[in-house]
Amino acid sequence: MIFSPRIWGELRLAGLPWRAWRALIFRLALVALLLAFLRPASPRAILGPPQTVQTTQPLLCMHTRLIDEVEEWKIQRSLQLVRELGADTIVEFFPWAYIEPQPGAFHWEQADRIIRHARNQGLQVIARLGYVPAWARPEAQTGGLAALDAGRGADTTLNYLDEAHYPDFARYVAAFAARYADSVGYLIIWNEPNLAFEWGYRMVSPAGYVALLQQAYAAAKAANPAVVVLAAPLAPTLEPDGSPWGLNDLIYLERMYRAGAAPYFDALAVHTYGFTFPPEAEPGPEILNFRRIELIRAIMEAHGDADKPIYVTESGWNDHPRWTKAVRPLQRIQYTIGSYEWAEANMPYVEKLCQWVLRYPAPTRSYPDNFTFLTPDFRPRPIYEYVQAYAQGREIALP
Amino acid sequence: MSIRQRLPLSRWPAIGLAVLALAGALLFGRPVLRWVWVTFIRPPAEKPMLPYGELRVGVDASYPPFAVDTGNGQLIGLDIDLARAVADRLSVPVRFINMGYDGLYDALRADQADALFSALRIDPLRLHEARYTAPYFDAGQVLVRPPDTGIDSLKDMDGRRLAVEFGTEGDLEARRWERRLHALNILVYETAAAALDAVRAGEADAALVDAISARLWLRDHDGLALAPEYVTSDPYAVAVQVGNVKLWEAINTALAALAEDGTLDAIIARWL
Repeated sequence: MIFSPRIWGELRLAGLPWRAWRALIFRLALVALLLAFLRPASPRAILGPPQTVQTTQPLLCMHTRLIDEVEEWKIQRSLQLVRELGADTIVEFFPWAYIEPQPGAFHWEQADRIIRHARNQGLQVIARLGYVPAWARPEAQTGGLAALDAGRGADTTLNYLDEAHYPDFARYVAAFAARYADSVGYLIIWNEPNLAFEWGYRMVSPAGYVALLQQAYAAAKAANPAVVVLAAPLAPTLEPDGSPWGLNDLIYLERMYRAGAAPYFDALAVHTYGFTFPPEAEPGPEILNFRRIELIRAIMEAHGDADKPIYVTESGWNDHPRWTKAVRPLQRIQYTIGSYEWAEANMPYVEKLCQWVLRYPAPTRSYPDNFTFLTPDFRPRPIYEYVQAYAQGREIALP
Repeated sequence: MSIRQRLPLSRWPAIGLAVLALAGALLFGRPVLRWVWVTFIRPPAEKPMLPYGELRVGVDASYPPFAVDTGNGQLIGLDIDLARAVADRLSVPVRFINMGYDGLYDALRADQADALFSALRIDPLRLHEARYTAPYFDAGQVLVRPPDTGIDSLKDMDGRRLAVEFGTEGDLEARRWERRLHALNILVYETAAAALDAVRAGEADAALVDAISARLWLRDHDGLALAPEYVTSDPYAVAVQVGNVKLWEAINTALAALAEDGTLDAIIARWL
């Protein structure tokens, strides 16, 4: 017997009897235990008294990225900083793959955490739903050693959802809508389905997306009739018909309507970026700029949807020094504030104008980092301070 | 029978070891299992290194001077030249697939591209979906100052004037150092070029800008030089499909050869 005390008693290693080794191991274990206790604890995230947002700009809204945040205090700190910025609404992603990793086995802990802290800070939540769990995708890894070796050869991405699994996604939407019926009033169904990579690297399909929207809408309304269902925001792109990479957002939206989308959304989510243009630059079908919203609005009106509002769930400018679609940091501040003034004066149908993005949990280490308002370690970029001053009605001189 | 009789003291070390082993298996079992699987058990990759007989390169051509679309679909830049040089070494044709940054890593996963040459930083959070080669360029923050001023690092800037571009990484890094040094006078300019011009004009003692801005400015201006130490490091590398070890090794070998024979330096010098 390997654990026989007689064998251990006679054992000698490196000239030392087992008893000496045993004492040494015991002491080392004790020291390790003490050192573990010495490690500083993470800051605790205790809910304080409920807060309210003070702002002079009701359109102001932030897209957050909290679902991958491991430490709860960072969720709380992020949401505090949204409130202190003067934004009363966040857009947050609640991936199906994270929440229902096995059929019927829901893990709500992280979503609960985010929504609890958002409510505590007085923030309204617009929830974006998407990302397909492995079990709902073809060629899904089923665990075990095969899963450990994932990545060899082609695989489906988290955005791949075939029609056979639309009912599964609809059930997730219903479960989400029911669970957060009193705290989440807005659901976005999918994200940028006019891009191939957001459609699982397949040819995009407006009719396919409408079929998904139809099922999700019915499920959401059955679970919570008051919830506002937003059709997916489309990526601003000029990709022509037949491109393997995507389809022009204006063409895609037109085809969504032709496929019968109108009854299946209460409001439209829109992504609009200024890129290198100022907010007041004229829109045009061949130009990607902030006022592309107006072209999207025209399509809605042409299809009798003038009474539906638009929620701009991603917007903003990038100030990376080298990206061809970026501006300088000073311009970013001026254009961002200018976009609120323009929307307020000229776009009465816009309910919220959300900035992409408050902060990433970790840096992307490329130009997307220059869309953020805060660094991963919560250092405010100048854009944060100037937009905050604007929302508070304070004047700050630009350098 | 008491617990002491059931489990005499002499058995406790063995029990302790068993508990530790169990805890270790719970805590570290998955990575150890993965290592054993990948190192000893995994059957040889069935896929060839380049299954389509060409090197399919994913690139976001909106990032000069690394990759940019000239407007008619033709791509030019440092990454484009580097990918071509690597493909030459591998004796295969190269095909570029221009896509947005958001889709790059998914393109590897969905087998739309064999490798990404796209000014990619090595991202520890992406290691489960991409395998990075050795870096081929460092784009970190650097000090630019007149030679022979004794300024080799930010520690030497105490009591001196540092020019930065407003709102950039250099600006943030300078603010961090402002708290470490006794007296760092930060001068903020609207562009990196304006910050560098200020040093040349004697308004500032040094500028803190990214290595790309610095090198581009130094191509056209005399009188200033890079400090020998980078203030921050921002290495660029090629990413390949995580399971395609053969291609990863081949590109690494090609990059090493290109560095050895001076081709890599020549490509960098052509664009920066």
